[in-house]
Amino acid sequence: MHAVKQKMILGITGILMMLVSNVCFGAGIPDKVSIGSIQKYYAPVSFNHAAHINKLKDCGLCHHHTTGAQVTDPNCARCHKNSGAQAVVSCKGCHVADPFTPEALKQQRDQQPPVYHRDKPGLKAAYHISCLGCHQKMNGPTGCQDCHKRNDGGDAIFKSGKHAPKAPAKPKTAHH
Amino acid sequence: MIERRDFLKGCLACGVTAATVSVASGKAMAAGSFEGYPDAMGVLVDLTRCVGCRSCEAACNNEQKLPEPDLPFDDSSVFKDKRRTTEKAYTVVNEYKVADKETLYRKIQCNHCTEPACLSSCFVNAYTKTKEGAVIYNAKVCVGCRNCMIACPFNIPAYSYSSPLNPLVKKCIFCYDTRLKDGKPPACVEICPQQVMTFGRRADLIKLGHDRIQANPGKYVDKLYGEKAVGGTSWMYLSSVDFDKVGFDGHIQNEPIISNVKDFLGFVPMVLSIWPALFTGVHLLATKNKDGHHDHEEGDHQ
Amino acid sequence: MKQFLTRNPNTQIINSLRKDNDKGRPWTLMEKIFLGLTPQQYLSQAMSNPLNWVFAVIFLIGFPVLIGRYIFGLSWAVGDPYDNAWGLFLAFGLFGMVPLSSSGFQLGSAVEVFGRHDFEPIERLGILNGILGYFFAVMFLMVDLGQPWRLPYPMVVSWGPEAVLFLVAWHVATYLSVQAAETSTAFFEWMGWPAGKTFVKKMALGLAVAGIILSTLHQGALGALSTYAPGKVHPLWYSSSFQWLYFFVSSLPGGLCMVIVVSTIAVKTMQWRCDDTFKNSLSKLQIALAKGASMGLITYLTIRLIGIAHDNKWAYLGTGWGAWWMFEIGFGVILSLILLTAGIRNNSVALVRLGAWTTIIGVVLNRLNVYMFTFNWQQGHVHIPPIREIIITVTVYSVYIVTYRAILYRWPILFKWKTRYSDYAVLEPQPVAIAEAEAASSK
Repeated sequence: MHAVKQKMILGITGILMMLVSNVCFGAGIPDKVSIGSIQKYYAPVSFNHAAHINKLKDCGLCHHHTTGAQVTDPNCARCHKNSGAQAVVSCKGCHVADPFTPEALKQQRDQQPPVYHRDKPGLKAAYHISCLGCHQKMNGPTGCQDCHKRNDGGDAIFKSGKHAPKAPAKPKTAHH
Repeated sequence: MIERRDFLKGCLACGVTAATVSVASGKAMAAGSFEGYPDAMGVLVDLTRCVGCRSCEAACNNEQKLPEPDLPFDDSSVFKDKRRTTEKAYTVVNEYKVADKETLYRKIQCNHCTEPACLSSCFVNAYTKTKEGAVIYNAKVCVGCRNCMIACPFNIPAYSYSSPLNPLVKKCIFCYDTRLKDGKPPACVEICPQQVMTFGRRADLIKLGHDRIQANPGKYVDKLYGEKAVGGTSWMYLSSVDFDKVGFDGHIQNEPIISNVKDFLGFVPMVLSIWPALFTGVHLLATKNKDGHHDHEEGDHQ
Repeated sequence: MKQFLTRNPNTQIINSLRKDNDKGRPWTLMEKIFLGLTPQQYLSQAMSNPLNWVFAVIFLIGFPVLIGRYIFGLSWAVGDPYDNAWGLFLAFGLFGMVPLSSSGFQLGSAVEVFGRHDFEPIERLGILNGILGYFFAVMFLMVDLGQPWRLPYPMVVSWGPEAVLFLVAWHVATYLSVQAAETSTAFFEWMGWPAGKTFVKKMALGLAVAGIILSTLHQGALGALSTYAPGKVHPLWYSSSFQWLYFFVSSLPGGLCMVIVVSTIAVKTMQWRCDDTFKNSLSKLQIALAKGASMGLITYLTIRLIGIAHDNKWAYLGTGWGAWWMFEIGFGVILSLILLTAGIRNNSVALVRLGAWTTIIGVVLNRLNVYMFTFNWQQGHVHIPPIREIIITVTVYSVYIVTYRAILYRWPILFKWKTRYSDYAVLEPQPVAIAEAEAASSK
């Protein structure tokens, strides 16, 4: 009887450890994220999530408190000091793709009380402010095309590549 | 035949009545200041976020169907000169190297003032401040006097001098025709990857701007440029350094430009009313000759 | 013409409605245009005048450039001045010429309102100077405007009444009509239309008062226009409170001195055209005009200094721009005051004439400084207009001079027109029957 109880305790502990380790060490967490919302002008970003996890270790640096990490920004901590993990941790879960539509603006204005997340950047800005901000401090890639190459649509709007203007005979720019 | 004395009495009576009436109704009708349409939209530009990618210039060129630029929009050699808006570019970004390590970028475009100088100086009423906040331009009535270019304290309107038959003023119109009319943000705001520009009601953005300053102590200069300048502008700026250092006019007046001419314009009806009697009186005093008659009274003197 | 007349002393230059000292048949319009010379004689005297050769060169170069401005667009003539939208056409042609043309309302009101009939010999010249200056200011505007065919728009298409320019547009249009009416007396005499002249004469006082009202406002308004750009005009040339007064007050000596200058040129180069009344009274009248001009100048100097004190701008006097300011005031105002007052004191018309030149140069220099040279001074460079802009300005100004001269040659401005219908002290026109009977009885 004693041996069975021991085995059971070991077994359950083992399973629990496995579960814990699986949860903490990446079951359900993507290694690569492909961000394709920019297809109008750029090829999708192939984001190496796993490499960033290995490098930074602290999920909270990008995911605020939503993965369970402690929030450090004093503006957030005012309300979220004891906030833990959330069901949705992806950026697009909270950061809206179109933050300035009349509906989005109205929603922000109508929230009661009118104090929550008033200055929340949109999705595109969240990516850039977070990624570029950190890359600038840690000597990561900072050029536009370092992370996403322009496609033909992008070249067209930037008047670049094969859409570039022909060299003018006498270039003139108006300047002070 | 009315006697001169009775005529003058009548004038005096009318004048006093008119003056009394106008004083009484004066308070209700006096030209005060315009605080802006309540739902006017605006844009808050945060210079600490701009990285000089010039996507906004590209988007504007595309949206407003502007002519081809001289150089591609990803060419950063343009930053060696300080540019201004032209007939082909309604918005430009300039680079400012402020301290050893700090480089800031500033996006320049029409600021869509609450009481615009361009509108105040236009003698054919070619400009309109819409209730959505945009300052737009009617090409059908513009004569090409270019007073608006003289008046704009930000040197924004450009003129298509090169067109022989239809030269016009060219400037940012807040994407009014294609977007703002329907409540949508302009093309430059939409494309900006860093959300340098925040779109919303001007009144809300003022609160947002001050909140952002407060939430990031030491990061910003404690001022929203455009909150008060020339009577308030719809496009306002946040900066981490003194505005003078990034190309703004730090000495710009807080009163709208039109207030500079109000005193003179108010003088106009006074001259029209006072000069006739004043100089007719001078004439009567100066031309009485020896036998007590005036030149006219002898018949035609000439 | 002078040399032609010395060679042909018996030529009868037309100065009356009818041939033979107003007793023969009426002159035809063509004869009046050629001044009684045959076309060949007229051409030969024109060709022998060296000034006409200068004008010929100017027009040969200038007219194609002027036409090019319209065919190729404004940028072909002025470039793409986004920051300095107003150039030489306006700074000189409009802002410069208009104060010098204020003589219209000044001489008109001196005679009609103040009753100073002693100014009559020079009144018509003052009025002609006025209308020609304003008319050509509008011509300069037609060159400068992006769409000059839309000039009537602020009148009839779309109103922007809160703009100072709206006031300027309406006033200049109205004032041109007033001046046209005042000038028309000379024109009607020349044409031999007495009814027109009597009709206008009845409105003389009203026209003069209207002229004073309109001139006060638009001379001031031209100054008020610069208050739209307070940061762009140099502080020494700018006053937030008094700018319109600077422009109005300086226009007074400007106009009077322009009359002195033009009448001097006329009496020296067109002596054959001036009658004895004009020639004999000119020096006295020029000194009288100088008295008015010097009062205007001392007032102007005072208010310029008050303006600097009012905004506490003394520190600017120590800068480079300060030195330029001192030149403008020193040459255009102080030197002019010295010359004019010395001329008045010593009854020296030569000094007065010199002082008149420095005054008008000073007024034009002030307008150029406000609207061109110091405009956008903070950007650190002075805007120099491109060569085509200068050529067009010289061309239009030359047309102004040629037109001025053509009218002075023909219309009774410098002389009295000998006709029974138009003496200064006359009178209703006589019915034709009585006139003919008189003519018959006097033969």
